[in-house]
Amino acid sequence: MEITPKLELFGLTFDVTVIIGSLLAAIIVFVITIMATRRLAMKPGKLQAGLEMLVDLARGMARMGHDHKNAERYIAFTFTLFLFILVANQIGVISLVTSDHHTEVPALQVTQETMKESNAHGVVWLKSPTADMNVTFSMAFAIAIVGAIIGISRNGLGKFLKVRYATPMGLLHLVEAISNPVTHAMRLWANIFAGEVLISILLQGITSGLAGLPLSIALMAWMGFSLFVGVMQAYIFTVLANVYMGQKIYLDHH
Amino acid sequence: MSIIAAGIMIGLAALGAAIGNSNLFAKYIEGIARQPEARGTLFGQTMILFGLIEALPIIGVAFGILVLLGVFK
Repeated sequence: MEITPKLELFGLTFDVTVIIGSLLAAIIVFVITIMATRRLAMKPGKLQAGLEMLVDLARGMARMGHDHKNAERYIAFTFTLFLFILVANQIGVISLVTSDHHTEVPALQVTQETMKESNAHGVVWLKSPTADMNVTFSMAFAIAIVGAIIGISRNGLGKFLKVRYATPMGLLHLVEAISNPVTHAMRLWANIFAGEVLISILLQGITSGLAGLPLSIALMAWMGFSLFVGVMQAYIFTVLANVYMGQKIYLDHH
Repeated sequence: MSIIAAGIMIGLAALGAAIGNSNLFAKYIEGIARQPEARGTLFGQTMILFGLIEALPIIGVAFGILVLLGVFK
């Protein structure tokens, strides 16, 4: 297993791969959407048509959590979340950058001791930010908190607490308040993390020259599956984000 | 010890996923056989449910890998 370079700032530890990966994903999404919407035309070009399809997909996802009228307000959020996670998931599959170079970089906590401590063979510089638990957990809990804030501001604190927690289902909702964001985050993290670990294990097997050809074929198959899983988990994460928000916002239906 | 633990975790996760997925896809094929024109909508729904089912075993696999790598020492 590889270690990741870390940065100490203000007494907090930042993972450099997460910073690079999420910045890269954000830039890719930004550039693609800007390119596609720079010259809008009534008769759309290829890029614009593709983006319009994605917006339609986002509308469909938003409608799974909100009713048709309110869904329009959440399309931008859904679209952004989906595209960011989609690109972030594929970064680690398409371009997993690791180095076996063992020059010490003490400023980034890459030293012989830290390598030996975690039994590492190399240093990873670019991987999926969503393969880090902290990223998915912060996204899931941010969505849960924002959903609760919108629910309270829409219905008032009294009604929010009464409808959700002062009923026979209240205890279940109380457990859900923690278990929903936790499973929401773990679902995305575990899929991407397991995919990446298996890719790096297969790569190590190939480069160590054990059984090059069969492992290469296995690697190809697994990378194809990882691309598919990345798209699907991005879709599921976004749909669930809308569903969980909708449960807290529209109290009259439940 | 951690190798045995990881083996049990990943093996049981695979067993659970196999049971869940086999149920899901058996019903999917049954649905297509009854109503071939519903294939498109059924495929989308099935893939979403496949993602939801696959999540729990893969969480088990991820923790199995973490145990194997000695993160929880």
